[in-house]
Amino acid sequence: MRNEYVSRRGTNSWSRNQNVVRHGYRGLGDMSVRVILGLMVLIVGLIYATQSVKATQYDYEISDIDSEISSLESRKEDLAVERARLTSIAATESSTVAANMPDAQTSGYANK
Amino acid sequence: MKDRAKSLKIILMALVALILVRLFFIQIVEHDAWVARAEEEHIVQSTIKAERGEIYMMDGEDPVVEVMNRKVWSIIIDPMLADTDKTRNEVSRVLPNERMVAKWDEIFADKTRRYYVAARNLTKPEADQVRELSLDGVYLQRNNVRAYAEGEMASSLLGFVNADGEGQYGVEGALNEDLSGEDGILKTVTDVNNVALSIGDENVRIPAKNGKNVVLSIDRNIQHAMEKVLKNGMERSHAGHAAGLVMNPQNGEVWALANLPTYDATKYAEVEDASVFINFPLEYAYEPGSMCKTFSFASAIDQGKMTPQTTFTNNGFIMVDNWKIENAYKGLIGTVSMQQGLDYSLNTSSMTALMMLGGDMTSINQRGKDLLYEYYHDRFGFGDYTGIELYESKGNITAPDAADAYNSRYANMTFGQGIDLTMIQVASAFSSVVNGGMYYRPTVVAGEVKSNGEFDYYDSPEALRQTVSAQTSDTMRQMLYGTRLGRRNLGIDKAGYYIGGKTGTSQAIIDGAYSFAETTGNYIGFGSSVGELPEYVIMVKIWGEGLKMEGEKDAMPIFDEMSAYMIDYLKLKPGGNN
Repeated sequence: MRNEYVSRRGTNSWSRNQNVVRHGYRGLGDMSVRVILGLMVLIVGLIYATQSVKATQYDYEISDIDSEISSLESRKEDLAVERARLTSIAATESSTVAANMPDAQTSGYANK
Repeated sequence: MKDRAKSLKIILMALVALILVRLFFIQIVEHDAWVARAEEEHIVQSTIKAERGEIYMMDGEDPVVEVMNRKVWSIIIDPMLADTDKTRNEVSRVLPNERMVAKWDEIFADKTRRYYVAARNLTKPEADQVRELSLDGVYLQRNNVRAYAEGEMASSLLGFVNADGEGQYGVEGALNEDLSGEDGILKTVTDVNNVALSIGDENVRIPAKNGKNVVLSIDRNIQHAMEKVLKNGMERSHAGHAAGLVMNPQNGEVWALANLPTYDATKYAEVEDASVFINFPLEYAYEPGSMCKTFSFASAIDQGKMTPQTTFTNNGFIMVDNWKIENAYKGLIGTVSMQQGLDYSLNTSSMTALMMLGGDMTSINQRGKDLLYEYYHDRFGFGDYTGIELYESKGNITAPDAADAYNSRYANMTFGQGIDLTMIQVASAFSSVVNGGMYYRPTVVAGEVKSNGEFDYYDSPEALRQTVSAQTSDTMRQMLYGTRLGRRNLGIDKAGYYIGGKTGTSQAIIDGAYSFAETTGNYIGFGSSVGELPEYVIMVKIWGEGLKMEGEKDAMPIFDEMSAYMIDYLKLKPGGNN
C-alpha cells in the first residue's frame, strides 16, 4: 500500500503551501481472499459435518427407541394374550373358585 | 535411452487413456447402473407389515378379544458356520431342551445344510437371551402368529392363518382381505451398522394400514354352551360329529356356530382329518329331512289351503309316479288332522299339503310344484346363498320346469328329501316362519373395534322380504309348539315358556341310494316367554359314519339342554299360562 504525495506548489495560487493527500483503494490481496474463502468453506463444511453427525446420532437414538418400542409392544401382546386366556370361559370354568361353588338350586317365581 | 523414455511415455499415456476411457464408461455410459449398485449397498427397502386385525366375540353386550396377534421367534442354525459344541452348550444354557423342535445331533448331522429350524415360538425374553449369546451361525427369525383365548372353541368357525400369513377357512379365510390390511413400505439409507439414517433425499416411508378388528355376533358364552351340549349329546349317542347353531330370529344375528370335533388352530398342520376344517352349518348342504314339513305346511297355510285342523285320510303311504312313498311312523291310519300329521311327522301329511297347494286332492300337479318352488326358492331362499359373510354352499333345489322335476321329487321335497340345504338356510327360513314372517339375511359380523378401542356396532340388518303372513307365522308357531307337547308333559320344557320345534331324520346317500343304515338326526326349534315372539332359534345336527342317528332320540335332547340354557342366559321371564 503506497501513499502518493503530489506537490501543488506553483500550480494553484490559492492553495499555496498546502499538501493534498489522495488515498488510493485499500482492498484485500489475492492470497487473503483465498485464505478467507478457504476458511469459510472449512467452517461451512464443519457445520455441515457436525449437523450430519448430530442427525446420525438422532438416527441411532431413534433406532434404539424403535427397538425398545418393539420390545414393549411384544411384551404387551404377550400380556394381552395371557389376560385373555385367564379370563376365558374355559379358564374361568376350570378355576378352583368355580370348582368350589355350590350347584345352583331351582328357584320359583313369586307370581307363579 | 531416448527411445526408452519415448516408449515409457507412450505406455503411460496409453494407461492414462485406458483409465480415462474406463472412467468415461463408469461415469457416463454406465452411470445409472453404478448408481443403482451404490443404492443397493446402502439403501434398504423393506415392507412394513400391517398388523392383522383381531377377532372379537360378544360377551353379552361387550366385545371381547378371542383371536390375537403374537410375535414369536424361531432359532435358525447354519450348521456349516456354527460351532457344534459351543452352540449346543450355550443355547442349552438359556433354553431348555424341551423348547427345541429338533435334536442337536440331527441339526449337526449334515454340515453342508445351511438352514435348520432348531426352535420355534420363542418369546421375546427367550429370543433376547439367545441373541445376547452372539453365536456364529445362529440366527433369530421373527414371526407373527395368532393366539386363541378360548383354545379350540369355535375353531372351524374361526379358521386359521397359514405360514404365509393368509387366512384359511372360516372367518380368517372369508374375511382375509379385511383382516389383512395393507403393508407399508420403508426405503431408507442405512449406515454400516444397518441403522436407518434420516439423511438422503430418496427415503420413503408409507405407513402400513392395519387390518380391521372384526367383532363377530357370536356370543362366546352361547358358543361355549352350544359346544358343551353338543359334546354331551355326542357322548350320549356315541356319535362322530355334531353341529349346532343359535340365532336371533328377530334380526338374523348368529349367536353360535358350533362344530364338533374341534381342532387346535395353532397346530393346524398336525390335523389328520381335514373334515374338522369344514364349517358344517354353512358349507355343507344336505337333505334336512322332516324339518322341511315346517316349510311345506307354512306354504299351504299361507296360501289359505289348509289349517292345523284340516283333515285328510292317512293310508300310511301315497303312490307318486308309481313310487310308494311311506310314513316312517306306521300308526294313525285313517282320518287325521294336519296338526297330527306334523306331530307324528307323517310324510303323507306334507305330500297332502303339496296336493292342496295345487288344488287337487288326488294328485300332485304343476301348479302345486310351481307354488312350492316359489315358497322354497323365492321366499325361503333355498338353493341360493343366504348372503352371510362366510363361505357357504348354496345348496340345490330342482326348479319345477327342470327335466327331473318329477312329481315324486317334489313329494320328497315336502319332507326334506331330494333337496340339499345348509343348516343356515334352514335356520334363517325357520326364523322367518316363526318371527312374524320376516326374512333376515343371517350375519356373523356385529361390528368392528376401531384403532382407538371404540366399538362400532353396525346397524341391525333390515328384513329382506316377507316369506309368509304374520297370521301364517302365528299358526305355525302354534303348530310347532303343539309338536313339543310330549316334552312339556315330561317337564323338560319349563312352565311359562313357549317352545316349539320339529325333528328331522334324514337318510344318508351311500353309493347313490338312500341308506337306512346311516341316518342324520336333526332338530330345529324356537323359544320365548309365553305371549312373546321367539327370542332364539336353535338348530342341531348329529351324525356319524355308519350310525343311525334320529331327530327325536339323538338331536332333540341336545336342543332341550341348549334351550334351557338360553332361557337362563337371556334371562327370559316366564309369561302367562301355557
